[in-house]
Order: sequence, then structure tokens, then C-alpha cells
Amino acid sequence: MVIGGIFVVSGFEKLIGPYQNFLYIVQNYSFLPFLLAEFVARVLPWIEFFLGLFLLLGLWLKWTLRAVMVLVLMFMAVVMQALIRNLPIDECGCFGALLTVPLPVVLASDTTIFFLTWFLLSRRKEAERYSLDSYWAQNENA
Amino acid sequence: MSQRSKLRGTILVVAVSVAAVLAVKFFLGLSPRDTRSPDEMRAKGNKSAPIQITEFIDLECPACARGAEYLARMIVTHPETIRLELKYFPLPSHRHGLLAARYAECAARQEKFWPFQDALLARQANWSRLVDATPAFVLIAQEVSLDKDKLGACLNDKSVDALIQESRLEGERRGVKSTPTYYVNGKMVVGMQSLEPELERLLAEIKK
Repeated sequence: MVIGGIFVVSGFEKLIGPYQNFLYIVQNYSFLPFLLAEFVARVLPWIEFFLGLFLLLGLWLKWTLRAVMVLVLMFMAVVMQALIRNLPIDECGCFGALLTVPLPVVLASDTTIFFLTWFLLSRRKEAERYSLDSYWAQNENA
Repeated sequence: MSQRSKLRGTILVVAVSVAAVLAVKFFLGLSPRDTRSPDEMRAKGNKSAPIQITEFIDLECPACARGAEYLARMIVTHPETIRLELKYFPLPSHRHGLLAARYAECAARQEKFWPFQDALLARQANWSRLVDATPAFVLIAQEVSLDKDKLGACLNDKSVDALIQESRLEGERRGVKSTPTYYVNGKMVVGMQSLEPELERLLAEIKK
């Protein structure tokens, strides 16, 4: 629920504002060509938002958890390259204007989220309790 | 059967969420809009230029200094084509941003905004490191021949702060979150990396 909430808030905050603000943040990480950065700035907030929402509702949990792990791994790689290259980024831009988080803290939280998601995936049966997935599974069995 | 209703449920969730996000975005009115409202003191270039740029600037932001340098060059090479208007957007993360905006506005009231702003940005790397940047600003004010008494009175004038605040609020209403944010013919462009291709595209269109 917490991980889902984080993703929903992060995606929603970016979606309700002009995409150019997030594009600027993506460009600051200096790892994508212009057009690809623009594509990422337009698409990534939707992905974050829906992964978060699916986690909250417990929808397609098996795949959602895996997708979250992949996304978080990508975030970690991007933040790590920024730290290694010593890029002048004061805050990650993860939550837009809602929250300012320095890069090392982001890396630590991403690592925590990654392992938490891994843990949930390894105990999927328990994670699926009270989820829409289990609701539909019960209907199927009925 | 259940798989089908699960798919249907997923589609419903996605559709409702997209509609909710778009509705919030619409009602908040955060979509970029045209910001053409000329303020002569902080504007330069041909009034009827086909490319009108409004910039929300924090005078302590290094990217803004680089952007200003680039735009100054562009205006020199395309004097009839580009017009630039500046609006203050001091960021809370920059300790001297607000004070710099105050001095710049007071320079504007003596019709010396541009020379003051150019000198301020050129030396930004020096004064931004200082605990108290006031002596650096006073020195620049002297260099661009600002009237000392008028400057002192202006710095205590509440309308200066009110104008800066108003400018910042205008930026916030339009969805500005970081600097430099430009509105090029009404289109929102954030940062130099996006500004350069946008200007090149418009200049190429005008040349045709």
C-alpha cells in the first residue's frame, strides 16, 4: 500500500502539471537524447501512476510487482550515474514541487523499495490478500 | 469468464483514472498559456517581433545565467525577430535570489535593469557563494550608475516585494516550478536544452 501510494502521488503530481517541468528534470540527468527525454517525460508519470494504482488495488500483482522492481532498478541506475558523474543536481525531482529529496537519500529509498517489492513478490499469496486479484480468483473458483 | 471480467475491471480502472487526472489538470488550469504582458522596464527587443519570449528567472540560478548569455547573443543576431521579457521567480532554495530580484527591480525603476542584470548574472558565481551578497549588489549598482538615494528608498518600498511576489504567483499559476522557464510564443519551455531547439525551429520557420 505504501509503495503504491508513493508511486501514485509521484506520478499524479507530475501529471497535473505541465510535462515540461519533468522534461527539465529528465534533461538534468544528462543520459538521454532530446527526443527520448521528451518521450520519457510524457510517458513515465503515467507508468508511475498506474503501477502505483494497480499496487494499491492489488491488480495484476504478479506483473505489477515485477514492473515496479524493473522501474526502481532503472531509477537507481540513473541516480547512481548522476552521483558518479557528480552532476549538479540538488534534488531528484521525484515528487515535483511536493518534496525535495537529495540524490543519496533517493538512492537509499529506492533500494529499500526494491527489496520491499522483492519481499512482497516472494510472499505474493499473502500480499494478494484483500486484493482485486484475489476477489476475481474467488469468483473464478465459485 | 473471470479473466474477462478482470480485464473489463482493469479497463474501467484505467479509464476512470485517466479521466480523473485530466479533469484535475483541467480544473487546476495548469496547462501552459500565453503570457504576453509586456512590461517595458524588463523587456528588450522589437515589440512586434514574431518570437515573443517571457522568462521566469531566478537571478541566483546558474542555468538562468547561461540562458541569459545565450538569449543575449540571439537577440543581438536577430534584433528584429526576438523579444524577451523577464519575470521574477526567486526560488526558496537560493538564499540571495529574492534580494537579487529586489535590487534588479530597483534598477528597473531607474531604467537600468538590463545593464544591472547582465553584470549580476556575469558575476553570479562570485556573489552566490557569499554569506551576505549585499556589498556585491551595491558595487554592481555603483558600476551601472544607479542613484544611491533612490536605490535605498526603493529597497524599502513594499511595492517592490509585492511586484516580485505577484510575478512569482503568476509563474506558479502557470505551472512554473523551476528556472529558467520560458514561454516562447506562449509555449512553455523549461531549461536551455529545450529552449535552443525551440528557438532554432521558430527561426527556421520564419526564414522560410
